[in-house]
Amino acid sequence: MRILLCEDEPVLCDQIKRLLAAEGRVVDVANDGQEACFLGLTEPYDMIILDLGLPILDGTSVLKEWRAKNIAVPVLILTARDAWSDRVDGLDAGADDYMTKPFHLPELAARVRATLRRQAGRTSPFFEKGGVLLDTRNARVTLNGVPVDLTALEIAVLSYLFHNSGRLISRTELSEHIYSHDSDRDSNTIAVFINRLRKKLGHDLIQTMRGRGYMILTD
Amino acid sequence: MRSLRRRAWVSGGLVSLIAVTTGVLLLYSFLESEALQRFDLSLRERHTQAVVALSRFADDPARIDEVLLDPEYDRPASGRYWQVVGPDGEIYASASLLEATLPLSNEAATDLAIHDAQGADGEPYRMAHQVITLEDGTRWEVAVAMALAGLELDRAEARRSLAVAFSLMVLVGLAGMVAQTAIMLRPIRLLRQDVAHRWEKGEVLDSSDYPEEVAPLVDDINYLLQRNLEIVRRSRQQAADLAHALKTPSAILRNEIMLLPDREQVAGRALDALDRLDAQLARSLARIRTSNTAEASNIRTDVTATVQRFSRMFSKLAANADKALTVEATPGLSLRADPQDFEEVLGNILDNALKWSRTRIVVTARNHARGIEILVQDDGPGIPEEERSAALVSGKRLDASVPGAGLGLAITAELLKAYGGMIELQRSEDLGGLAVLVIWPTAPTQLAG
Repeated sequence: MRILLCEDEPVLCDQIKRLLAAEGRVVDVANDGQEACFLGLTEPYDMIILDLGLPILDGTSVLKEWRAKNIAVPVLILTARDAWSDRVDGLDAGADDYMTKPFHLPELAARVRATLRRQAGRTSPFFEKGGVLLDTRNARVTLNGVPVDLTALEIAVLSYLFHNSGRLISRTELSEHIYSHDSDRDSNTIAVFINRLRKKLGHDLIQTMRGRGYMILTD
Repeated sequence: MRSLRRRAWVSGGLVSLIAVTTGVLLLYSFLESEALQRFDLSLRERHTQAVVALSRFADDPARIDEVLLDPEYDRPASGRYWQVVGPDGEIYASASLLEATLPLSNEAATDLAIHDAQGADGEPYRMAHQVITLEDGTRWEVAVAMALAGLELDRAEARRSLAVAFSLMVLVGLAGMVAQTAIMLRPIRLLRQDVAHRWEKGEVLDSSDYPEEVAPLVDDINYLLQRNLEIVRRSRQQAADLAHALKTPSAILRNEIMLLPDREQVAGRALDALDRLDAQLARSLARIRTSNTAEASNIRTDVTATVQRFSRMFSKLAANADKALTVEATPGLSLRADPQDFEEVLGNILDNALKWSRTRIVVTARNHARGIEILVQDDGPGIPEEERSAALVSGKRLDASVPGAGLGLAITAELLKAYGGMIELQRSEDLGGLAVLVIWPTAPTQLAG
């Protein structure tokens, strides 16, 4: 799952990025409102974390711009001040949730998981199919109760397919959601990851629709 | 003397007293001398009558009383007398004198002399006395007298009339003074009303609405109001800036500790210290807020609009968590408080309800005898009765299993107290969870007083 983090405080930014990466998320970072606005409009994110106090263009304006352009990605806003008005304005402008700084990282991680789950129309933090279990809280995967060692990108592919169970996902879409903005994307490598996942988790989990993409079937 | 009204009354009363007293004294002495002059004139006329009578009956003075016809001359001790002394010393007198005689002075006066005298029985009277020389060369003494009791009667009558007239004057004067004071003080009374009224509307006072003597005061009040608000706003802003400046590094430190691979062993005390730092920060910020509520009380806050705005936001958050929030707010509710303070109270209570509710939150806002009542109910676990007061005391957090600094309700309670309001935690009759009842006075002194 690919997340846009819009935050101008570099240390906090790095910490959130490390936290989300540890849970198998791919994170792009925007340090000012202008960059945030551009990335939000041009890249297909699964979720956006937006600080309202961004330089150049404030967070509320960025959010309004996205919503005006029909970008429907779930947005979690971060506010530093105790002013409730900021939060209300943020939610009114189209945010889905808010957190006030300082926040506890585990709480942020929990909110991100909850938001992504809601997007997938689920209430449980676990995805399970044919003996394969993905715990979104720590990005751990087990096969019939035995832990399986997966790389970050393998987890990203599996997680995206699980979150979009029942939907056909093209190689391009998959690569857009597992690679960050600044990395070299190669949709041909997707086939490699799928093969590795099949070797580690069995061949029945991920279905291939030849020439069109992949999907995990819903029960 | 601190009351302008009393000052006006006392000074007006003193001036009136002096004016009335002087008037009474002057008028009284004028009337006194008038009465005496009239008395003396009457005495002269009677003396002239006696002289005319004498000139007619000089050869038979015993007949003088035939022409002096006033019946009072015949009534014994009537207070009106005449007396003629012949050249040979023989005395002819009115019957009213009985056996007595008027005490004529030894020095014969050729001009008419009028003076006070006293009768043998001590009766005071006034007497006109003259020595007359007739054509035949004989010298006669002619005297008439009138008792002063009559003059005294006249004088008493004059005094009564004066007293009635001046009492009326005093009454009219006092009523006029009270009316005048009220008219003079009206702009100040209006100013008080306007200050209260316009604060509610958040407008400045227009000095052109007032008399030119009061207008500079109105300008000064405007200036002071604005300045006070500015100072409060600035100090709150500084506090918020300071909090922000401290919160970010605190968050970074906490996160860094949380990301440590073996944090269980090393981080416990550090996280405790950070918890204390954050709590202290929140408390200090709340305290700065609560110490400035008097100045903030001059701003009008639209309660209904804020409740609806917040409900919209929390409905969205509730929907995310598969919960439902319903709101019922009487239209047009407002109170005098800093909108941010009201938002802080409402936000904290709704945040708490959202955190603990299972599926439902119900918010109602309506008028209450002592101000505005806001009731937030949820269907969560509630708080046992014995723990409710602790939940409102800063620093005592009941359950650490749900995230949050645990200060929300305590800060809310402190803010409400500063505004003279109250907060009560109850068991929700309708939903079974917690019911938070807030009563916020529409005027800041309503409950505090």
